[in-house]
Amino acid sequence: MSKMNTQSARPSTIVRIWSNPASRALLALFLVVALGCIFNADGAFYKLGTHRDALRQASVFGIMACGMTLVIITGGIDLSVGSILALVSVSFALMSIHWGWSAAVAIPLCLLIGTVCGGVSGGIASCFRIQPFIATLAMMVFARGLAKTISGGMKVSTAVKNPDGTYHNVDVPGIFRFIDGRVLGGNLSMVTVIFIICAILTWIILSRHRWGRQLYAIGGNEEAARLSGIPVVLSKTMAYAACGLLSAVAGLCQAAQEQQGDPEAGGGYELTAIAIVVIGGTSLAGGRGGIGLTLLGTLTIGYLDKILSINAVPEASRLMLTGVIIIAAVLTQRRRKS
Amino acid sequence: MIFQPMKNILHFLITAAFSSLLILVTGCGKSDAPQPNPPTTPGTLKTAKSTYTIGMSQCNLGEPWRVQMNEDVKNAAAKQPNLKVIFKDAQNDTLRQRSHVEEFVSAGVDLIIISPKEAQPLTEPVAKAMEAGIPVIVLDRRLLGDKFTCFIGADNKKIGKAAGQWIVKKLGGKGKIVELKGLMTSTPGQDRDSGFREGLAGSQVEIIFEADMKWLEPDARKEMESALSRFNKIDLVYAHNDPGAHGAYLAAKAAGREKEMLFVGIDALPQEGVSYVSQGILNASFQYPTGGTEAIDTALKILKGETVAKEITLGSRLFEKDNVANGGQPLP
Repeated sequence: MSKMNTQSARPSTIVRIWSNPASRALLALFLVVALGCIFNADGAFYKLGTHRDALRQASVFGIMACGMTLVIITGGIDLSVGSILALVSVSFALMSIHWGWSAAVAIPLCLLIGTVCGGVSGGIASCFRIQPFIATLAMMVFARGLAKTISGGMKVSTAVKNPDGTYHNVDVPGIFRFIDGRVLGGNLSMVTVIFIICAILTWIILSRHRWGRQLYAIGGNEEAARLSGIPVVLSKTMAYAACGLLSAVAGLCQAAQEQQGDPEAGGGYELTAIAIVVIGGTSLAGGRGGIGLTLLGTLTIGYLDKILSINAVPEASRLMLTGVIIIAAVLTQRRRKS
Repeated sequence: MIFQPMKNILHFLITAAFSSLLILVTGCGKSDAPQPNPPTTPGTLKTAKSTYTIGMSQCNLGEPWRVQMNEDVKNAAAKQPNLKVIFKDAQNDTLRQRSHVEEFVSAGVDLIIISPKEAQPLTEPVAKAMEAGIPVIVLDRRLLGDKFTCFIGADNKKIGKAAGQWIVKKLGGKGKIVELKGLMTSTPGQDRDSGFREGLAGSQVEIIFEADMKWLEPDARKEMESALSRFNKIDLVYAHNDPGAHGAYLAAKAAGREKEMLFVGIDALPQEGVSYVSQGILNASFQYPTGGTEAIDTALKILKGETVAKEITLGSRLFEKDNVANGGQPLP
């Protein structure tokens, strides 16, 4: 569905920087889908459920990639997204399962945690002109440590510890079941809906809002942006805060899908999120790219993963194939651009 | 407005301060375990003998099972008023664990318990501790050679085999099953797989889908979704750990097919496998004991001067719906 949207929207939306890389990203996606049609695992690839599951699985990465796109467009990078996801999923599980807080309190609070984490690393990076790589690396380590501290190093699950060291079981909170549920007669996962909403919101910000334009300007030439009166520090900090916010949304989805808060969750997710953005065709140098591309990148990575999985490809070959396909996808981007 | 050179210097200073802070954080950020590290004066404890100090080096507290191991050691030691345990977490770093052993030796502890990350690099430091007259108990993973006092561990292969035999019996000798494997580059993953296949040998139970879920629940769920979309009938899911089996259950439940099959996991931690079994999510979980309690029991014997067996193999327990309330049933 989202594929069609981008395709038909391409000529009508007159955002020039999108038009070329978008067709490349589509090509990569088509190649992956064609691969799926060839290796269809006895027809499993043609089942609706396979596509629903592929989208469900890609959604958490997609949500993080939306935030990552904002940051990468400013010419930065955010390594802390995976740790923020873990911190938020642990917090959400603690609040909802162990403390029995209502979702109306827990969710805004969790989103706030993510936003603050992102804002702090972004603020440090832009105020003190520290490389975002370092500032967000620090946040990555700190947030992981915090997640482990508040969870006591254990997964926060529905088995709650009694004072005497035994455990009793509590029900999975309704909000978890809601987020992990399905809509459209069971044909679309709720997390995918959340991903689509996040993508639409970031798209509106990037292409319709003044702040979005400012991010492109900063990524293009930060000094020029500053001289032309753009509040560079504020805009950049807000981009990292938004990235933290979206990581928090991903964290909520992660906790709901696992029915627990795992302080080790999200390890290495930042690299997948960056890979998605880059495969889509957003430039790591900043100033060019967009959410449509990230959407295509998400589908490419998501389908690739699903195709390898339904064919039960052994882990070692999976890693090698993924590496080769990422390079192939990125090379397609480069060659056509020149 | 600051002058340019001054700004540069300021920038440099902040970067320098920040990166040193970062190194500090990377170094100790993961230390979430209780790590009381009081200054131990060498020698004094040796002569007094009213209390014994045990140094416990854990290879990685990032795994719930190892957190449980430390918990078990702590609880068992708390029952002995004359024991004091110093916990250290190597955060999955072999060299850090090596320095733990060296620190324990120079601090003059009375006994070392180590759950080593790897055999080769830790064999020699442990041998040196033995030469210094400190007995060493090796927990869970093995070292090379025989320069340690006692090895305590469970047998993954045996547990895998027991799981296989239980499954054959449960399915009446035939059926189609999915195997969700732990990291296949790790020994526990390999043993839980090879033992399991030994247990299945001779039956008509067929593994129709197998995938490496790397011990991770989200990966297990993902792989199970693929298995579900490929096969219309699955009789049982065998996962190398309980979170894996739980992930598979969630996938099957989302597809409305959780009643069609059984779910079997390994580890049986109180807050994971045992809890899942008592909630009716898993049909069985095979315990992989941590040996924490046994380590303290053995340590006491060693400190009292008794001789202990060089190798202690821990027994496993099977948790099912009808025996979970009574603490499971020991496996032969």
